[in-house]
Amino acid sequence: MSRNRLLASASVVALGLVAAGGAVAQDLKPTSGETVFFRGWQYKTDIVQSNVDRYNSELDGKVDYATVTGDYPAIMETNLIAGAELDILYANPSQAARYYDGGWVLPAESLPNIDEIKADMYPNILDAWTYKGELTGLSYFVSTRGVMHVNLKQYGELGYTDADFPATWDELYDQLYEIRDKGVEQPYLPHWLSEWYGISWGFVFEVMNRGGDFADPETHQPTLDTSEGGPAWATLEDWKRIFNDGLVPEEVLTYNESAYIDAYASGRYVFSPQQLYDLETFNRPDRSQIAGEASLLPYQGQSWGLLDSAVYLMTSRERDEAHTDDVKKFASWYGFKDQNGEIFVGQRWMQESMLFSGYKSVMESEATAERMKGALARPGDVEAVLGVYAETPYPKGIWNVVWSEEFNSWLREELQAFILDDGDIGDMLESINEKITELNAKYGI
Amino acid sequence: MAGQVTSTGRTSELSNLQFALLMALPVLLFLVLVVAYPLGYALWMSFQQIVFFGGYRTNFVGLANYATMLGDDKFWWSIWVTVRFTVESVLLAMAIGLALALLLNRPMRRPGLIRTIIMLPWCVSLYGTGIMFSYLATGQTGFATAIAFFFGADRPVSFVNRQWVIEVLAIGNAWNMAPLVAFFLLANLKTIPTRLYDLAAIDRMSPLETFWNVTLPPLRFTLFVFTCITTVLSMKLFDFIFVLSGGGPGTASAVMTYQIYKISFRDLNLGYGAAQSFVLLFLIVGSTMTLYALWGRREAAR
Repeated sequence: MSRNRLLASASVVALGLVAAGGAVAQDLKPTSGETVFFRGWQYKTDIVQSNVDRYNSELDGKVDYATVTGDYPAIMETNLIAGAELDILYANPSQAARYYDGGWVLPAESLPNIDEIKADMYPNILDAWTYKGELTGLSYFVSTRGVMHVNLKQYGELGYTDADFPATWDELYDQLYEIRDKGVEQPYLPHWLSEWYGISWGFVFEVMNRGGDFADPETHQPTLDTSEGGPAWATLEDWKRIFNDGLVPEEVLTYNESAYIDAYASGRYVFSPQQLYDLETFNRPDRSQIAGEASLLPYQGQSWGLLDSAVYLMTSRERDEAHTDDVKKFASWYGFKDQNGEIFVGQRWMQESMLFSGYKSVMESEATAERMKGALARPGDVEAVLGVYAETPYPKGIWNVVWSEEFNSWLREELQAFILDDGDIGDMLESINEKITELNAKYGI
Repeated sequence: MAGQVTSTGRTSELSNLQFALLMALPVLLFLVLVVAYPLGYALWMSFQQIVFFGGYRTNFVGLANYATMLGDDKFWWSIWVTVRFTVESVLLAMAIGLALALLLNRPMRRPGLIRTIIMLPWCVSLYGTGIMFSYLATGQTGFATAIAFFFGADRPVSFVNRQWVIEVLAIGNAWNMAPLVAFFLLANLKTIPTRLYDLAAIDRMSPLETFWNVTLPPLRFTLFVFTCITTVLSMKLFDFIFVLSGGGPGTASAVMTYQIYKISFRDLNLGYGAAQSFVLLFLIVGSTMTLYALWGRREAAR
């Protein structure tokens, strides 16, 4: 969008809002007097609390926010089954699909301004968050998990330049051995952390980046190529090689998210697949030893990572109508536009943490462009970020299905055991297809 | 409690047993509510397949969940890990507890302060203990790395790996439990008449002989009781392990409680999880009964 067109559009929107301002504010004001319970995982909880405080103070709301520690998917699932006091929660698309099939979710389709919300979403994001024809929730963040971060300081000291950046996973592994030969014993921190989105996601994105896939997006029947030399085979072969040759630290298998970030921020590693928005973290002097030197491998014909996103879900627990209306109002305020017609929370996440949004109005704003420039090591990295982001795959076949979380938990454990026990590649790959078949049978898919 | 004279002239007085049962009735009812009902419900679940998706329903599957267990390698592995972790935890907790008790029994300055400091680990929650030991044992933040770096190494040293994770867990668990053991043993030690030590000195017993013949005998029953307690606590431990290692790396520390949690709450297979929890229950009861048969009965008879 050109700047002139952007300004013209903004003027029209602003005029409309001035005309309808009072009505909009009235619409989002709660009326039931009941508490709306909002729960999420631990991520910058101070920001979330201040957003909630703003809603409560400006619109006289009664939103109770608390963070959930521990095994988030399992905890939320048991809460939903028990019909606990829970109205709005964070969820990944895979969790959303499972909760939807459990009948515990009120789809975003029920919001009065759903057409406006959908119109502002990128089509691929809308597709990822749509399950059985319904949009499950509103945008919390969108990112690429598994973007290959590079520590420019160490990379430069080893005699490399941007021209040497690996374009594919194969090239990356070859370069790791070169670096090892130059004296860095463990140059790579793999995405093998113990979180539920750790090693299993690491495997999924690497296979997809190499051109493979796990299950059909519609039928969910297994499609993983188990042949020698296929994307999945090559991935596991390389994993075994770098682990057995000592190029990676074993303890990464026990890292949680913060330990994983801290390890890379320590500057010990040259490469690591990390969250896209953590480029901002790694370039902050108060948080990282490689501030100003944290960059990423650009898209050069092969994607890096997978589309990681989260939505705000509304639950369908028993409530009276006025209470449910309040839940929708808060969800709309928090997950889309506030009483001033601005995507306040979404834009704030961009400004504070460089969290991408599913909304075009956030991603295409001037403020976002400025923010990204300020958060990255080099001006050219903005283009690299957008290039990688645009090509990020999404594993719909194994994520938009009711058994997704079970499969993920199983895969995580199996992959850890595979690495530690020097497992057989063929057996591992066959077992993945068998597991998908078994889960399909379990759920009658 | 007085009886009353009936028309037949006999006194209908409650027997001691009847009176005791009457007094205990509220507690028994409470126990039925809080123990028997959940236990019975769990037993019922272990014979069911419970489905939450496509409408909640249960299907009776008889002993299928128990039969599945027999062929489940992860189940057998979790039993082995549980036994290994429990044995190491109990041995460490008892040894550290005994050592602390002996230390505290010696004359010292500010004994109250020292006892308070030694008691502190027991006051730390298992969640907190898990976080602390994960920091201490992992390579990134651990003490071994600090020492290694001090001596010029450039690679972190981690104990949270396949070889050592159970030992790290056992040490953390023992660190948390040992103070309690120590204080009960200390109470026992305080009851030993000092004249016995005087007699031992007259008999020219060595410190080891004095410990074996004078100090240890009165501690044996307490040691047995706490061996049972720490065995039970170690077998049912979950939060500490979940926080520290999450059952990993791989399945290296997947004890039964972790396995049951995973099956029940991640896979939402409550029937199978309930069946495994009964095995854990039998393992706990079996262990304490074995301890009693081999050791406790002998101590009680002394």
